[in-house]
Amino acid sequence: MRVVIAEDTVLLREGLAGLLEDAGHTVLAGVGDAESLLAVVAEHEPELAIVDVRMPPTYEDEGMRAAVEIRRLHPRTGVLVLSQHVEGRFAVELVGSEGGFGYLLKDRVLDVGEFLDAAERVSRGGSALDPEVVKQLLSPSRDDDALGELTPREREVLALVAEGRTNASIAKELWLTEKTVETHVRSILGKLDLPQDGATHRRVLAVVTYLRASVA
Amino acid sequence: MSGMSRLRIAAWGAACVLPACFAMELLPSVNTLDWLPLWLLPPFVVAFMAPVLVGLLIANRQPRNVIAWIMLLGPIGVALSTPVAWAFGEGWGLQMDRATWPLLYAWPIAIAFVFPNGRLLSSRWRWVVGLAVVSFVGSVTLAMFESSPFYGEDAAVPNPLADNSVGEAQYAEPLSWVLWLGMLASLFVGAYAIRLRLRRSTGVERLQTMWLAWAASLVPVALVLCLLSGLLGYALGVTFVDWVVFPMLLGLWIATAAAVGIAVTRHGLFAIEALVNRTLVYVSLTALLVAAYAGITIGLGVFVGGDSPWVIAFATLAVAVAFRPLRARIQDVVDRRYNRARYEGVRLVRDFEDEVRDGLRAPEEVGAVVADALGDPLTELYFWLPETEAFADVSGDVVADLPRDDRAGREIRRDDARTAVLLHDPILLERRDLLDGVLAAAALSIEMARLRVEVRLQLAEVEASRTRIVEAGYEERRRLERDLHDGAQQRLVSLGVQLRRLQLALPRGAEVLSPAIDQAVDEVASTIGDLRQIAAGVRPARLDDGLAAALRDLAQSAPLPVEVEAPRERVAASVEAAAYFIACEALTNAVKHGSPSKVAVRAVRENGALYVSVADDGVGGAVVRRGSGLAGLRDRVAAHGGTFEIVSPRGGGTRVEVEIPCE
Repeated sequence: MRVVIAEDTVLLREGLAGLLEDAGHTVLAGVGDAESLLAVVAEHEPELAIVDVRMPPTYEDEGMRAAVEIRRLHPRTGVLVLSQHVEGRFAVELVGSEGGFGYLLKDRVLDVGEFLDAAERVSRGGSALDPEVVKQLLSPSRDDDALGELTPREREVLALVAEGRTNASIAKELWLTEKTVETHVRSILGKLDLPQDGATHRRVLAVVTYLRASVA
Repeated sequence: MSGMSRLRIAAWGAACVLPACFAMELLPSVNTLDWLPLWLLPPFVVAFMAPVLVGLLIANRQPRNVIAWIMLLGPIGVALSTPVAWAFGEGWGLQMDRATWPLLYAWPIAIAFVFPNGRLLSSRWRWVVGLAVVSFVGSVTLAMFESSPFYGEDAAVPNPLADNSVGEAQYAEPLSWVLWLGMLASLFVGAYAIRLRLRRSTGVERLQTMWLAWAASLVPVALVLCLLSGLLGYALGVTFVDWVVFPMLLGLWIATAAAVGIAVTRHGLFAIEALVNRTLVYVSLTALLVAAYAGITIGLGVFVGGDSPWVIAFATLAVAVAFRPLRARIQDVVDRRYNRARYEGVRLVRDFEDEVRDGLRAPEEVGAVVADALGDPLTELYFWLPETEAFADVSGDVVADLPRDDRAGREIRRDDARTAVLLHDPILLERRDLLDGVLAAAALSIEMARLRVEVRLQLAEVEASRTRIVEAGYEERRRLERDLHDGAQQRLVSLGVQLRRLQLALPRGAEVLSPAIDQAVDEVASTIGDLRQIAAGVRPARLDDGLAAALRDLAQSAPLPVEVEAPRERVAASVEAAAYFIACEALTNAVKHGSPSKVAVRAVRENGALYVSVADDGVGGAVVRRGSGLAGLRDRVAAHGGTFEIVSPRGGGTRVEVEIPCE
């Protein structure tokens, strides 16, 4: 996997690059602001860009804007946005609107396996939504009859689906067989009245869109 | 003795000359006025004394007033023939009598040139006046050398100047006619001068000038009529002097004196009114008190008998007690009669004060009321704020400097300290009695209004600074949140990543360390989680996305269903922050004390304000206690100039309603 990293803290940028390289990926460039990011993406057309939300000069949402820009100009480059805290709807909307986009809290990096998993998923056009965001989407304060019909196990599966996981990954996480996961997923999609579709990333989009819509 | 009082005494002296001249007529040796029919005597005395009295009235108030002195001295010249006759013999008196007739016209036209301010219209008019003076003085001087004998009843008296070379000279006759025409011309020009002034003047000055303009236009007409009647009389062999020329001249004098008098008394010229007013008040007061004293002493004397000291003591006491209320009463009556403006002005202010007392009007309206009472719409009142050393207008706005224009400024003081400054039309300086009366009546209202304006400004300043402090607090929270996320948290993540890389790079045989590193990384991760919690408590980052987003996050992290309704449009960041923390506090409070099953948070933007309500279906009975969360909430709302209300019947849930202005 060919990667560029945009992160203004040099120490973290080097750390991330090291982790990726240790895992056998190629880090083409590491930059510290959005402008340089767009330049190196245009230059290398990488499979993945890892982008910090807050960067110079204003430390507001430069990274998020750059992410949208990259998705528009370079549809083949997946973007994984990293944030210090849950940034909100913007991320959910981006993850829900198309593939090739991921949104994670920075400390997910510490769980190296899952981080690399998510990174690879996004680089292949899949999705990754931080569990914290998913938790908020599934918050108990929601008044949703369809969600209420789900069993606790189905809710667990739904959360992992929303995160962008594949059936295999879900099965591993929950100590289930892939077959059982598949059954759960079919049941969930049925209860939420969503189309049964084989492709993982389309399934994620449907689920996230559903959750997003019922929040708004 | 000051120059002013010396001039005043001189004025009284000048005023006495004329009666003295008249008195001399009573001497057997003097009979200058013998020709005067008896029926003309009263109007004659009135006509001569009228300008003198008006002049004296003005001179008393303004001893340097030019018009006053013209009126005081003008009539004397004509009357001087009497003392001359007494001192030098009848011949000289008669000679003077027939020579000084131009002076009958001189003083009225002199006034027409300088009325009402005592100055000429412009410096160019000096030439005109110079020519007038030359023709008048020349005429009188030339006539003094008249050598012809007297005629009529006085034919027997020899002319003391018979056969003098000047009177007999060839040029005397034509020169007298030239000078006569010069006089006539200057009379016309004088009448024109005052009309010109009338046309250029406005307001009070116009009213003052109007009467004199009419009187002055009679002056040249009188001279022409005089000539015509003389010629006609000569042709017909009769004399018109008694019943045409003299009544006309006397009428002219009375008219001029009356015109000046009207200007003085009716329109406040030279501020004579106050003098007249005070004289009237004190004369009536004295008369009434003396009458009362006499009445009591005599009345009681009849019963008690003789002049008992008790009677005198009682009368004195009665008079002393009556003095003040009686004076006020008389002042009122006199004002109502002779100083309508002041009377009405003061009454207007007093009525206003009563309305203020009854709470019908605000003291700040005093500025408008004073303007009304003074009849001057240009009047403006500025309150002095000693603390900031600045002025504020009646609406409470601080002004950097008083407007600089041609208005006069009058400082209003109370207890030796400046309270306000009144800017007014300078014409009011001529009506000092009105100004003083109105301001004295309004003093308390002005002080009250000033204090209110001052307190209001101070309160506004305190409120503004409280808002600034609260807003600075929000900004500080924002900075703190940023520091936590981008500083400490970022470094912890870097540390964790380094640990992971270390773990992956452990050499063979050192794998035993791996679980320990896992544990360290877990520790780092949970510390990051803690930091995130703290940062969110300091200020939720979601507020950057707007109130609606932040409130939804709040609802999602709540342990019970929370219904949220919030506007998507953005308002000022400080207002959003305030609304968020208010909702937060109210929600925490509800969960902690109300045990509700659900909560509804609503934020609505309406009429330039953000309304936030947090309602639960819990146990109710919430009260705002000092130091409690609700009290803090109320303070926060107050800092934004908003309102706070809580409805919490026992068993009926709690509803907190807040309104924050956001424009």
